[in-house]
Amino acid sequence: MATMTSGATGPRRVPSLIAAALRSEYLVLFLCALLFAGLAPFTPGLASTDNFLNLLGNLAPLLVVALGQTLVLIVGGIDLSVTSTIALTSVVGALVMNRDTGWLAGSPLAAPVAVVAMLGLGGLIGAGNGLAVTKLHMPPFMVTLTAMMFLSGFAIWLTQSKNVGNLPAAFTVLGSRPALALPIAASSAGLVHLLLERSLFGRWLRAVGFNARTAHVSGVPVDAVIIAAYIASGLLAAAASVLYTGRLETGSPVLGQRILLDVIGATVIGGTSLFGGKGRVLWTLFGVLFLTLLDNALNLLGLSHFTIMMVKGGVILLAALLDTARTRWLAA
Amino acid sequence: MNPTRQRLLLPLLNHATLVLFAAVLVGFGLLSPKFFTAANLANLLVQASSTAVVGVGMTFVLLTAGVDLSVGSVMFVAAAVAGKLTLAGAPLPVALLAIVAVGLVVGALNALLVVRLGVLAFIATLGTLYIGRGFGLWLTQTRAMNLPDSFLALGTAKVAGLPLPPVLAAVVVALAHVTLTRTPFGRQLYAVGASREGAKKAGLNVGRLLVAVYVLSGFCAALGGILSLAQLGAVSPTFGTNREFTAIAAAVLGGTSLFGGRGGVFPGTVLGAILIQSVENGLVILNADPYLYPLVTAAIIFLAVLLDSTRSRLQAHWGRRRIFDEPAE
Amino acid sequence: MSPLLQFESVGKSFLGVEVLKAVSFDVGPGRVVGLVGENGAGKSTLMNLLGGNLRPDAGSMRFQGASYAPRHPRDARLAGIGFVHQELNLFPDLDLAENLFLADFPTRGPLIRRWELHGRAAALLQRVGLGLPPTTPVGRLSTGERQLLEIARALSFDAQLIILDEPTTSLSVPERERLFALVRQLRAEGRSLIYISHTLGEVLALADDVVVLRDGTVVGQGTAREFDPVRLVSLMVGRELKQLFPKPQSNGQADGTPWLEVRGLGQPGVVQDISFTLRRGEVLGISGLMGSGRTELARILFGLDPHATGTVTLAGKPLTGPPKERIRHGLALLTESRRDDGLCLEASVADNVALVTLGRHARSPLRLLSIAGLREALAKVRAAVRLQPRLTDQQPVQTLSGGNQQKVVLAKWLLAEPRVLLLDEPTRGIDVGAKAEIYQLIHELADRGAGVLVISSELEELTGLCDRLLVLNRGRITGEFSRDAFDSSAILRAALPT
Repeated sequence: MATMTSGATGPRRVPSLIAAALRSEYLVLFLCALLFAGLAPFTPGLASTDNFLNLLGNLAPLLVVALGQTLVLIVGGIDLSVTSTIALTSVVGALVMNRDTGWLAGSPLAAPVAVVAMLGLGGLIGAGNGLAVTKLHMPPFMVTLTAMMFLSGFAIWLTQSKNVGNLPAAFTVLGSRPALALPIAASSAGLVHLLLERSLFGRWLRAVGFNARTAHVSGVPVDAVIIAAYIASGLLAAAASVLYTGRLETGSPVLGQRILLDVIGATVIGGTSLFGGKGRVLWTLFGVLFLTLLDNALNLLGLSHFTIMMVKGGVILLAALLDTARTRWLAA
Repeated sequence: MNPTRQRLLLPLLNHATLVLFAAVLVGFGLLSPKFFTAANLANLLVQASSTAVVGVGMTFVLLTAGVDLSVGSVMFVAAAVAGKLTLAGAPLPVALLAIVAVGLVVGALNALLVVRLGVLAFIATLGTLYIGRGFGLWLTQTRAMNLPDSFLALGTAKVAGLPLPPVLAAVVVALAHVTLTRTPFGRQLYAVGASREGAKKAGLNVGRLLVAVYVLSGFCAALGGILSLAQLGAVSPTFGTNREFTAIAAAVLGGTSLFGGRGGVFPGTVLGAILIQSVENGLVILNADPYLYPLVTAAIIFLAVLLDSTRSRLQAHWGRRRIFDEPAE
Repeated sequence: MSPLLQFESVGKSFLGVEVLKAVSFDVGPGRVVGLVGENGAGKSTLMNLLGGNLRPDAGSMRFQGASYAPRHPRDARLAGIGFVHQELNLFPDLDLAENLFLADFPTRGPLIRRWELHGRAAALLQRVGLGLPPTTPVGRLSTGERQLLEIARALSFDAQLIILDEPTTSLSVPERERLFALVRQLRAEGRSLIYISHTLGEVLALADDVVVLRDGTVVGQGTAREFDPVRLVSLMVGRELKQLFPKPQSNGQADGTPWLEVRGLGQPGVVQDISFTLRRGEVLGISGLMGSGRTELARILFGLDPHATGTVTLAGKPLTGPPKERIRHGLALLTESRRDDGLCLEASVADNVALVTLGRHARSPLRLLSIAGLREALAKVRAAVRLQPRLTDQQPVQTLSGGNQQKVVLAKWLLAEPRVLLLDEPTRGIDVGAKAEIYQLIHELADRGAGVLVISSELEELTGLCDRLLVLNRGRITGEFSRDAFDSSAILRAALPT
């Protein structure tokens, strides 16, 4: 919601090229290109093949989580519990399959069972969130906030705050090989895109996000749609956890703790509305690309993690400002 | 639902936090004789002061249907600045003033973003949360800083025989309560929260009200930072993390709506803050696994929010669509 | 005598579209000016200029002899112009006194002077005839009482000009009378009012002067005596309107098959012992005051609200469960408020129209939609509801006029080919031209064998449209009239509380 403190001003002349860029769906992609072009000369290695692969490796899991967030935001909710879901599923998966004390230590089934357990747990967490939001009529912000506190606490308690390492290679290969991680992320994105743009579920999702009461009167199974969105978010967070855990080769109870800003930031930078109804996979992809690129470049520049934190915070503010500016200029 | 059950259930739900509070107190009291000692209760109040003060600022923001996620970072930056200053030899009052200044500056920044530039409160303060935390880490170079004893002395100082932190918190709460219930500013905040457009049409200067709210929240966060410092005596790199969530939880536990226009600081937020603190305090007394604290706190907050939403729903359900009174029987 | 308010060649455009073109007229002191025009004629824009929500691109306004250029709603208030908005602008959680003096509480130092606040509030409430304690929360007031409160608010700063925007749409008859009396009293005090309404009879009865807007231009102005409803309508639409209501069909297609049967329906405090039968091809009206249980009845029938006793059957099959079950049995509900539960305002015309029947175009395994099928269905139904061709399928419905929005809601339900339609206030807030088209559509539906239940506050609409009429009063059916026995005063008697 844009606060127009001074009332609407007369239509301003916006140069047509800028206006076209601002209006475009690809605005964030243009910004990515600008960022890359602007930083590449000063940033050693930004344009190298190695870094390119590294960039994609960073992008894949973040994209997967952000896809789930996109679905939940479209339906008019928010899921703050995704990072804790990543941590908890990581820990649980590792406890199932690690080669020392794991439940299935040494079994050839360890890795597949662990992955299924992780996804199942993610889906279950999502279902819990969805049920609390729909059947108990609790605000999504508070539900997923308490879920975040609880699940993260649970992951830490479960492991007494220790990492669980020594995972089977059959598992770690999933996250550490871009050749595997990328197709997983890409197919998730493709599937979510198909659901959103072409399926009954996608239309229902948007309708509920725009106006749940209208949707209910029109015969849309509102509760089921909302629950499905949260389940999808939990599942995708768990899938991202598989990638992250594999990449790290260890189950960590604080895995993903730092990426909540990235997840929500990337989704919103892409253009998905926090008020529901509006959002697309392509937008989220651009948002994720933008943040990943920024993170990567700042790292290559040798900046400390707190500087990166400040810059990212600033960039998110700038993106939000840009979004308001475009709404004001173009809609006034 | 028959009328008798309504009559019984509604008051119970209306005072959900109070009921939960009583249950928690009785529970811990039964589990440990140490819980209900005067020393522990006083300690509890001292510990809850900081959350209460930050929660008061948060309540103002929530009343306008906004949110301030940056309070934890404000606490951290303020503490880091104060630490730097005192370690460089500045006297305590200068350090305290610096803390307050940091709160006001970040609050003003939030206000600028949300009110003048029209960024969503959630996103704007999420941005300042990260900028603030990054800035604080840079100031401290991610190392813990031990502060001179003058800070700890603040925490144990007494005013008329009472410990300073709860007294300070009480003053803040009292001022906030009077502001919300007895001043034009306070009443207008409720209107802004209920409908921003409506408030504007009613002739209110909505922008100015919102600016005041974010600046107040920054101020309260800084004040809460002082109170925390006075207890801990040190600034760690995680100082203030997740305090935005405790503050929101305290306000929501106290009956303040996340959607604006409903709630208050007294008894609401104060009760919420004490409830959260007593859970932690009780668990410490019981020697529970420290890793369990967040689990129990989260469960309690969840329960309180559940009770609150059930109450609003039942109230709405019973209140509406009753177009004539049934004949008395 | 010099006019109180003058519009001098005021113009305003949005995105290059001129919505006001050189509008000029005066409001004299102590006059009631009726402002009429179809939706989209520019009335709201004009009032937004006056209220300081928008600024004119051309021309100027003068108020009390001085140039008037408000930049903010506050400026309008300071100048002495008060608004009673169609969507009432009150805060239900605050009390009456706080709502009245929200922007200028009497204070001492930083604190509110409560006794003075309550004293002044009580005096104002007295003046508008609201005998309630100033500490009553506004949430407890009826719509009519809220309207009076808004007027009291305008009086709180001694407004010389008060704008009433569609004040009677949701008022009961006694509330309406009370409002009219108050308007006359304010005029007698020397204040001026601008009265905006679609109910032309009211405008002519109440106003001293009339201004007619069409397409952003003043197409007629003069004293009320110079106008009659027929002339007003033809000025508003720019053509002679042949006949608002279609010729009565005398139930040509009604074959008497019971379609919707309601037996002994009751819910404590809402409706009691409701029984009626809606037949194939019949248009059945439900009349009653605000709060008589009309909307509540429709919501119960559609499964949105619970009921304690009674049964509902459609074509012999019992109706139970949530709306989606009832839709499957052939029931449709056009709700009272398009904004709240009729449309997804930000979504496109296409998405809104398709919402109910999406499932028919979905194919497993992923329930993917057939885009071609959707497009075909949309094209067919657009023609059926006569949605203007210039409106694109992808246009968000919030950019449509009220009439077109209502057509979108109807189109959505037509695609479901319902056997029974429940229409709650189908023409609320829409202009005369669109009204006639919607009436025509209702008749076409009935001719094709649907049963239509129409709920409306406008008796004229019901008597023009329906074959039969039920009157609801405090949740009970207190009268039934067939078309040949329609008698406005008898219907009104049945509707009024005894």
